[in-house]
Amino acid sequence: MANEETVNNEGYGLNRRNFLKNAGVAVAGGALAAGLTPPAERALAAESAIPSALTSFRCPICAKDFDTFAALKNHSASEHPGRVPPVTTTLNVNGKDYEVLIEPHWTLQRVLQFRLGLTGAKQMCGRGVCGSCTVIIDGRAVLSCTTLAVECEGKAIETVEGIAANPKWKALINSYCKWDAMQCGYCTPGFVVSAKVLLEKNPNPTEDQCREALAGNICCCGTYPRHPTAIMEAAKAINAST
Amino acid sequence: MKAFNHTNAKNLAEAKTALAKGEAELIAGGTDLIGRLKDNILPLHPTALINIKTIDGLDYIKEEAGVLKIGATTRLADIAANSVISQKYTALAQAAGRVATPHVRDMGTIGGNLAQLHRCWYFRKPENRFPCVRKNGTTCYAMTGDNRYHSIFGAVNRCIAVNISDTAPALIALNAKILTTSRTIDADSFFDVKNPGNTVLAAGEIIKEIQIPAPPAGARSAFLKFAIRKSIDFPIVNCAVLVGGGPARIALNAVAPKPYRATKAEAVIAGKPINDANAEAAAAAALEDAKPLTATRYKLQIARTLVKRALLRTRTL
Ligand SMILES: Cc1cc2nc3c(=O)[nH]c(=O)nc-3n(C[C@H](O)[C@H](O)[C@H](O)COP(=O)(O)OP(=O)(O)OC[C@H]3O[C@@H](n4cnc5c(N)ncnc54)[C@H](O)[C@@H]3O)c2cc1C
Ligand code: FES
Ligand code: FES
Repeated sequence: MANEETVNNEGYGLNRRNFLKNAGVAVAGGALAAGLTPPAERALAAESAIPSALTSFRCPICAKDFDTFAALKNHSASEHPGRVPPVTTTLNVNGKDYEVLIEPHWTLQRVLQFRLGLTGAKQMCGRGVCGSCTVIIDGRAVLSCTTLAVECEGKAIETVEGIAANPKWKALINSYCKWDAMQCGYCTPGFVVSAKVLLEKNPNPTEDQCREALAGNICCCGTYPRHPTAIMEAAKAINAST
Repeated sequence: MKAFNHTNAKNLAEAKTALAKGEAELIAGGTDLIGRLKDNILPLHPTALINIKTIDGLDYIKEEAGVLKIGATTRLADIAANSVISQKYTALAQAAGRVATPHVRDMGTIGGNLAQLHRCWYFRKPENRFPCVRKNGTTCYAMTGDNRYHSIFGAVNRCIAVNISDTAPALIALNAKILTTSRTIDADSFFDVKNPGNTVLAAGEIIKEIQIPAPPAGARSAFLKFAIRKSIDFPIVNCAVLVGGGPARIALNAVAPKPYRATKAEAVIAGKPINDANAEAAAAAALEDAKPLTATRYKLQIARTLVKRALLRTRTL
């Protein structure tokens, strides 16, 4: 069933490639350092491109489109008996509500990426080991690859896109760029999200406290030593400006 | 992951009813379950998951009449950060704080930590590649294969996989009780590898609460874990001790198919002052009955050292 996880049967024409081309996605990684569109603008553009309510309901099994959820439900019952019917749920991501059509076994990471086009929370291990899919739910840094999207209704979800678009956290992103605390950048959004949660709880972390907070993030490129430096410097800048 | 239906339970009765219907399974933090379902390791896949995080009043830490009470869906991070638990039930705070990673501790619950399945790379191989004795097969693939992290106290029902829960030995040392929807079970007798879930929980039985009696005056507890990396990794061996003010209690995990109560070591240290020589004697007694495999012999020294250091650690807390 491995392919099921990567199947890109998203709605709204937001697939990864045209999404990246049209809106640009805030990946708090190498692209920022390369001096492209500022992260905040690209993050905002990414979010405003997502419709907040469903207008079309696509069957996740046969990709047929329906105008109403009721019609899709009838279709599921008659055409796909014995299969688990899709559900709709409303996710509050970065302060905005989005209605999504999903299957109950979809992880939050999958929904963020393939339904909302938010590619910051990345799937690396998919098993809760590496932290590259870290998002914030109700103030805690948690793993979106191991969280079911159906369980997230009514919760405040924050992704790296939301952090990048928030002027308060600009210093954190800038500091990561300044210290080049990344190589390939794949793990970086997960680190940035964990770092933001740390700074919210502890505005003046020591190096050890940074290491402890990032102890659930794996970087295959081995960028570890730069992270505490970047975070501690960002902390100073954030404290000075607030 | 294969498809399943999903219900948010509002109360325990609802969760029980839903559990009774077909191939349903509880989901708490999901940190053990979701990985297991993604890998499709068991021959049967649940057709429904019942979320118990939505049950009101199952997530709490409180002390009442000299008993610490922890709701089943309380996150490990909250247990590790709780100041009452750190001061009086130290081994549990230390154990909860050493589980996996900060992220997993912010998701994983104490109920799920106790009810998680064992770790064995043959048992957990994706797509049920090794239909081992724990899946009604006839072979333990670890017995003849790579078993470097497996039991040093022999097999139960021909399975040598170990229980890796970090909180279990702490709860056993602290004399905890586990309240379920139908009874109260001593933490010490909660684990039973002969059941598919590794615990004595019957089908449809749900953990509600963990209760720990306040340790007697003068008692101290400690937990130590040895793993390859300080974060993320499962224990190679872990150990929790409670000494002073009454009988000593010493428990180890990741050394046997279920948590191992080191009664011989308890007898050795009983009534004696905690010092190097006594701690060492207790450590030797703890491993007296070990029957390591060739590849797990190294765990003996680690286990002995952990027992000794955990005992000595109670002096400095
Ligand atoms: C990368 C990684 C590293 C880990 N490292 C460690 C480690 O070092 N030490 C350690 O101890 N664990 C470790 N774990 C294992 C485990 O996931 C966590 O310890 C966690 O506590 C499990 O809790 P959960 O709420 O997520 O359980 P879930 O995954 O939700 O559930 C696990 C099982 O318990 C059952 N269950 C859950 N709650 C109840 C209840 N109230 N009553 C009855 N049954 C219930 C579920 O049906 C399921 O079968 C690790 C996991 C990962 C992914
Ligand atoms: S992808 Fe989620 S923890 Fe690795
Ligand atoms: S920068 Fe490449 S994995 Fe971390």
